[in-house]
Amino acid sequence: MRAAARARYSLAMARPALPRLAVLAPAALLVLLAGCGHAPGSGASGKAAATPDTLPLEPVTAEQIHQRVREPGARATLVNVWASWCGPCREEFPSIVSLAERDRARGLRVLFVSADFEEQAPETRAFLASHHTPGPWLVKTGKDQEFIDGLDQRWSGALPVTIVYDPAGKPVQFWEGGADSARFAAAVEPLLTSQP
Amino acid sequence: MHALRSPISRLAALAGLALALTAGQARAQIAIGDAVPMKDVKMLGVDGKSVTLASVAGKKGTLVVFTCDHCPWAKMWQTRVTEIGNAAGKAGIGMVAINANDPTDYPEDGMDGMKQRAKDLKIKFPYVVDATSDVARSFGATRTPEAFLFDADGKLVYHGTIDDSPKDASAVKDAYLKDAVNAVSTGKTVTTAETKSMGCSIKYRAKSTS
Repeated sequence: MRAAARARYSLAMARPALPRLAVLAPAALLVLLAGCGHAPGSGASGKAAATPDTLPLEPVTAEQIHQRVREPGARATLVNVWASWCGPCREEFPSIVSLAERDRARGLRVLFVSADFEEQAPETRAFLASHHTPGPWLVKTGKDQEFIDGLDQRWSGALPVTIVYDPAGKPVQFWEGGADSARFAAAVEPLLTSQP
Repeated sequence: MHALRSPISRLAALAGLALALTAGQARAQIAIGDAVPMKDVKMLGVDGKSVTLASVAGKKGTLVVFTCDHCPWAKMWQTRVTEIGNAAGKAGIGMVAINANDPTDYPEDGMDGMKQRAKDLKIKFPYVVDATSDVARSFGATRTPEAFLFDADGKLVYHGTIDDSPKDASAVKDAYLKDAVNAVSTGKTVTTAETKSMGCSIKYRAKSTS
């Protein structure tokens, strides 16, 4: 009896040990590979792994933004110019991403345009990826003044700036500085509920 | 889902109506030809002395630059702003740098940070705090850095950015502010009176009730 009990105990302990080994072995391999530099983008936090080094950033002029705004298929287009180093931009960004997800099916198009410099592309990509931002991943190009006035004459250049356009490409809301989710929702709602 | 969305939509529509009354407007700025606003408001400097825009005015003009210590754009231009400001003083144009940011969210913008920056940059002009942000409001200033140059009569003759190359001083083609300062100090007309660049939005303190 005692021997049988010991055998059952040994078996019971052995069973979970196998799956544990199965999990631990690849994990150990990953750690080993990461240590050898063979796992690009895979960090200990797991967050870094979600940062695609190849996220394609697309340089755009103000005119190219207007062209995208006028493309058919949206009841409202929200353009937000931001920068990865800009506190108010970072604060409001998640609200806009949530709104974009919530109201995409209702005809909301959101165009984020980064004002980061070219050499800040890693920070731009990391920020966009960390917020699971849907593309396109636009980056401002060209001289500041040309871009600022080309986008909207009312814009002083302060970041962030948000402009909401109707389907014809006419700006119906414009503001500089950070805003909360209620303000973004309120800015697009009349267009989303209007008759096509 | 519909029952939930409907009230939200109605609320959002109402908020949108309210928003329509307030949004769509950029902050009202003083225009070329306007006088120096709030020129008698005392502002405390990094040297412990208070100045007003009237007291810093030079014989040939006054240069006011809104700036701060945390903003990457202000940092990129800070050496050039200091050089322009120090030179302006010698040329008869009084210069003052004003920090209107609420340091609550950006501790770098507090007085300690300002003192350190003034020391590091060897600033020879007053670097002061706009303690209510009301001076910045009266200018309609929106970002850092942002420059306002007034002539000997106290009329605005230049408003805008520093130059056309924030991140590389060696690549500047249009030194807007420097050229404007030179023009004013030599009695000439400023050729490019208004320019724009990107910058950090001014973190205004809650509106004062006075």
